[in-house]
Amino acid sequence: MSSPLLDVWEAAAASPYSPTIGKGSQFTVGFLLLLISLLLVGVFSLNRSFVNLPLLGVPASLAFGFGAVYMICAVGVYV
Amino acid sequence: MRSIPLLLSCVAAVSQLCSAELNLSHPLLSKQVLPSTFKPPQVFKNANLVRTTNLDKEYVRETVNVIIENIDSKPQSEYYLPFESEVISRVGGFEVKDKKSPEKGSFKVEVVEFDSRSPTEFYLIHLPTPLAPKSQLTLSISYSILAAATPVPAQIAQTDKQYLQYTFSAFTPSAYLTQKQKTKVKFPSADVPDYTTLPADTNAEGKVDPQKQGSTFTYGPYNDIPAGVTELVSARYEFTKPLTRASLLERDIEVSHWGGNLATEERYWLSNRGASLKNHFSRSEWQRQQYMNPPTSALKALPFPLHAGVLNPYFTDDIGNVSTSRFRSTPREAHLEIKPRYPVFGGWKYSFRVGWDADLKNYLRKLSAGSGDSYVLKVPFLEGPRIPEGIEYERVTVRIVLPEGAVNVKYSTPVPLIGAETGLHKTFMDTLGRTTLTLHALNVVDEWRERELIITYDYPWTAGLRKPVVLTLGLFAVFVTAWVVGSLDTSIKAKKAA
Repeated sequence: MSSPLLDVWEAAAASPYSPTIGKGSQFTVGFLLLLISLLLVGVFSLNRSFVNLPLLGVPASLAFGFGAVYMICAVGVYV
Repeated sequence: MRSIPLLLSCVAAVSQLCSAELNLSHPLLSKQVLPSTFKPPQVFKNANLVRTTNLDKEYVRETVNVIIENIDSKPQSEYYLPFESEVISRVGGFEVKDKKSPEKGSFKVEVVEFDSRSPTEFYLIHLPTPLAPKSQLTLSISYSILAAATPVPAQIAQTDKQYLQYTFSAFTPSAYLTQKQKTKVKFPSADVPDYTTLPADTNAEGKVDPQKQGSTFTYGPYNDIPAGVTELVSARYEFTKPLTRASLLERDIEVSHWGGNLATEERYWLSNRGASLKNHFSRSEWQRQQYMNPPTSALKALPFPLHAGVLNPYFTDDIGNVSTSRFRSTPREAHLEIKPRYPVFGGWKYSFRVGWDADLKNYLRKLSAGSGDSYVLKVPFLEGPRIPEGIEYERVTVRIVLPEGAVNVKYSTPVPLIGAETGLHKTFMDTLGRTTLTLHALNVVDEWRERELIITYDYPWTAGLRKPVVLTLGLFAVFVTAWVVGSLDTSIKAKKAA
């Protein structure tokens, strides 16, 4: 039986979806990002200045954001 | 005057009862209702009809191959097939094809009812092109009837053979005159101790019905049977296998773009419709028999053939993890075999959940056309166990959880549905909730287990960044708070004069 959506599926045969970070490296990436975030938080806590807020806070927050997403995937909760 | 409130409350109570009953008998079923004077117009006749009833499985599979002829003066495209109203609520997987060109696909069918108290209801088959006068078309109509055969006797001992009784009409129910017809009944074995015999004068060839050939019985041929005529016959046959019925199957399919994962979870509410035990269950008798592995009416194991590449399976029930399961995965296939905590005998129930993960790349493709953020997902509508005697599902709810922010969801499946809705499902790390598509089907059998379900949706890359951005902003808020709180002067010494 042929349906329009089945044709759409067949037409897209050449482009299977692959995530940026594969299942095998999720833990490594997540762990590294979280570690970077932790180190930056540590450095910031030693010198809480206004300049350090964007200089350390922004990269630490970004590393935490992406690191947490990859870490929760790595432990089996696929968000 | 006092009697009026009393009367009103009585009416309210009765109406509640009625509505509750209606909801239970036909959940979520939509129908076309015709006026009570309706009768199918006599525009067709069945030139030749062969019905095959297959009793191999625990549900009844029927295939009707019929040559229909338009006897009207105008082209016609609406063919009616009657069922008893009690039977039609248990008919599932109704499919009609052109026997000579099945590749053209299934015809459009719908359930029609002309009176809610009438004993007869119809399936209305829409022919894709109207049939010209005096021309013929061969239809291949197939469907399953769930819970059709009942165990007789209703109580047996633990090691006894089980017998089922199935009652049907020797004349195929039809809304039109049938010139020539016969019914073949295929039993699972030649052990058929009781069956109805019809006199030779109804048979077109003057033979006594049914004609036996191994495990196949043939009723007919019969000539010129008018519309609506039935002749009830019954057969009792050996079926020492479980009659597994799922009153509800909930199936969740969760798509994770970040994790590259497709998570499936199925929750079953199973029961065995078979003959119940006459005496108490004897564990020692059961264990002694297991060595010889005799046929039994109890459900012992459920093998799940899964797609290759499946990993992380689990099998739990109300108590917790069930350790009696085996999982084998090879590059070609994955096989999960689960055993319930106890053998499920007739009248017993068992509910459990199984789940597994799979790589998303085998199920999801990116569409090159359009904005570049559209995806197409292809998953089986039903997976579940495969056992030789079959499983019937009274109600199936499939829920596809798409990523948060997915929009423009479209779907297509050959499985007849009774309802579909989209909604939101909130779980880990969600802010708005994930888009979900919920599909409902009634009377599904395990033959439909590999029918595909295709879904397309748009998922902008900005929506994909919602989770990390929310977490980033959260931690940055902590930074700002730490800096603000840290820079507050909370000392108690007097300020220096300027």
